[in-house]
Amino acid sequence: MGFNALALAVGILAGLGLVAAIGGDLRLATTSLLLSPISSTYGFAEIFVRVTVLLIMGLGIALGLRAGLWNVGAEGQYIVGSVLAIAAAFYLESVPPPLRIVLMMLAGAAGGLIWIVVPAVLKAKFGANEIIVTLLLNLIASNFLLYALDGPIRGKASFGYLISDILPPELRIPKILPQTRLGLGIVIAAALVIVFYLLSERTSFGLQVRTVGRNQQAARYAGIRIPRIIMLTLLISGAMAGLAGAVHVSGVIFTLDPGYPSGYGFIAIIVAMLGGTSVIGTTIAAVVISYFVVGAEAMQSAAGVPFALVYTMEGIILFSLAAGQYLMTIRKR
Amino acid sequence: MVDILFVEAILYQTLKLVPAILFASLGELVAEKSGVLNLGVEGVMLMAAFTAFDVTYMTGNPWIGILAAILVSLVLGLAFSFFAVNLRVNQVVIGLGLWLFGLGLSDTLYRAFFAVGVTPTVPIIGDMDIPYLSSIPVIGRIFFEQNPLVYISILLIPVVSFFLYKTNLGMKIQAVGENPRAAETMGVDVYKIRYLAVLIGAAFAGVGGAYFTISLLSTFMLNITFGRGFIALAMIYFGKWKPYRIFLPLIIFSFVDSLQLGVQAIGVPIKYFFLNMIPYITIIALIPILGRRAEAPAALMEPYKKGG
Repeated sequence: MGFNALALAVGILAGLGLVAAIGGDLRLATTSLLLSPISSTYGFAEIFVRVTVLLIMGLGIALGLRAGLWNVGAEGQYIVGSVLAIAAAFYLESVPPPLRIVLMMLAGAAGGLIWIVVPAVLKAKFGANEIIVTLLLNLIASNFLLYALDGPIRGKASFGYLISDILPPELRIPKILPQTRLGLGIVIAAALVIVFYLLSERTSFGLQVRTVGRNQQAARYAGIRIPRIIMLTLLISGAMAGLAGAVHVSGVIFTLDPGYPSGYGFIAIIVAMLGGTSVIGTTIAAVVISYFVVGAEAMQSAAGVPFALVYTMEGIILFSLAAGQYLMTIRKR
Repeated sequence: MVDILFVEAILYQTLKLVPAILFASLGELVAEKSGVLNLGVEGVMLMAAFTAFDVTYMTGNPWIGILAAILVSLVLGLAFSFFAVNLRVNQVVIGLGLWLFGLGLSDTLYRAFFAVGVTPTVPIIGDMDIPYLSSIPVIGRIFFEQNPLVYISILLIPVVSFFLYKTNLGMKIQAVGENPRAAETMGVDVYKIRYLAVLIGAAFAGVGGAYFTISLLSTFMLNITFGRGFIALAMIYFGKWKPYRIFLPLIIFSFVDSLQLGVQAIGVPIKYFFLNMIPYITIIALIPILGRRAEAPAALMEPYKKGG
């Protein structure tokens, strides 16, 4: 844990160094990065707005990692889940609103599930590398979003722009803190933490997943049907990413446009890794990373540096996390 | 509608798109043969694309731009090797890290160096004209009036194949990727070989990335390589880690890509985002056919501890 904290610090310092190097206002950048998430109720609530998304996705990704599977396609599943949630909102007009919100969540999960079925089947049946196939499906998803915005979910009041209609208040996930964007989604995320914890620690499925991840040979001898575990783990992982999209669009954003994707699917991988792929660890990591996501966005707009710099910082954090894990292994010996 | 000029244009474009993927694919194949998966090829390509653009902008010479792109790629390759080989960390984590790093930094630097609002362009490496052969109708335009990097990249297939299977160094790379322990017993320096293989991979990816800004286009923008680094990785998988076998799936992808671009260009009323999806869907659909019995190097993604 100490090394992970160190890794985060190194990533942030390197990011600030870059801000200085390209002539940004370093002092403003530092204060907004570190203090903006805790200097107002709104900023503080923003942390948990991001926790909601990153945790729901991160739990699924971490489950996959425990089985030795990389769902690098969470970003795509998230996009498709968001699209199907919006579609459910505007197509299922005969369903009364509170129930329709539930259906929107299910539609989102289904969307994520659909988006991972192909990589899951190809992995389970043909041994196809899930990393490559899920990455390819991300590239398809961004085009799928444009397709949906141009046709099926284009808003009635879009005036030729690629944008969906805005969800009416009765189809939004209710807020729990007034004057902020924080809603009941965080409760869904918290409930899922409990579900995933029980699934992982109290069921034979959880044990089987870990066995497959540690040693496939041993899993086979133990009579575990490995393809079944691969399928189930990846499908759950995809459904979670889709659900995260549904929760975010119907709790925070309320509409879709081509600028909707924001890289949460990749940040969630950092969350799962930082948390050591355990349920509790992922939960803590989601809070820590969310803090810095909110800070980095504030820094980016305050110090006038390009948004892409946030990607660079994420990249550096991944490298320093890896180095932190190396330090941990040599200290164990 | 389908006239000979359209066919000619599609086939010409098919070959023209080849280097964008083939350089990275062949280089990364060498790296993977040594047991190191660099998932960050895309990030290397993006940094190379920016570097080639920037240096060509300053010098006016795209070949110097390529050279600079290779240098930057080697630096990134060196950093990647240090983490993957010496620190023996998870290669997927740093691969993703390298991608995000390149994606972010290339755009950050571009915006820092070039003013917003104007789109600067640079001189490019244009098509060459092979005397006599290029005047053959249709065939001449498709095969003998291409970008020099098209020929270089295709010639690299036999070169890489020869290198891997017929030279001492190539055999060492393969040995290290199959069974590093045995290779070390035979006196091979596993770390040195892996460093070398990753650096070859990075340098090739650098040329592939540069091709975007100083041949295919003459400008830079965020995410200009648009996932081609990931496609390059997929091609290695489809090619079952054999240089010659990369070519068929690559040509299929390039052809479908060229066809959809052509269909867009002549204004067929199908939306671009729908057409854009087709090349990716095509190669995913090919996995059950081309991807069976994939023969990855046995020690791929397996960190190795010297003497341990």
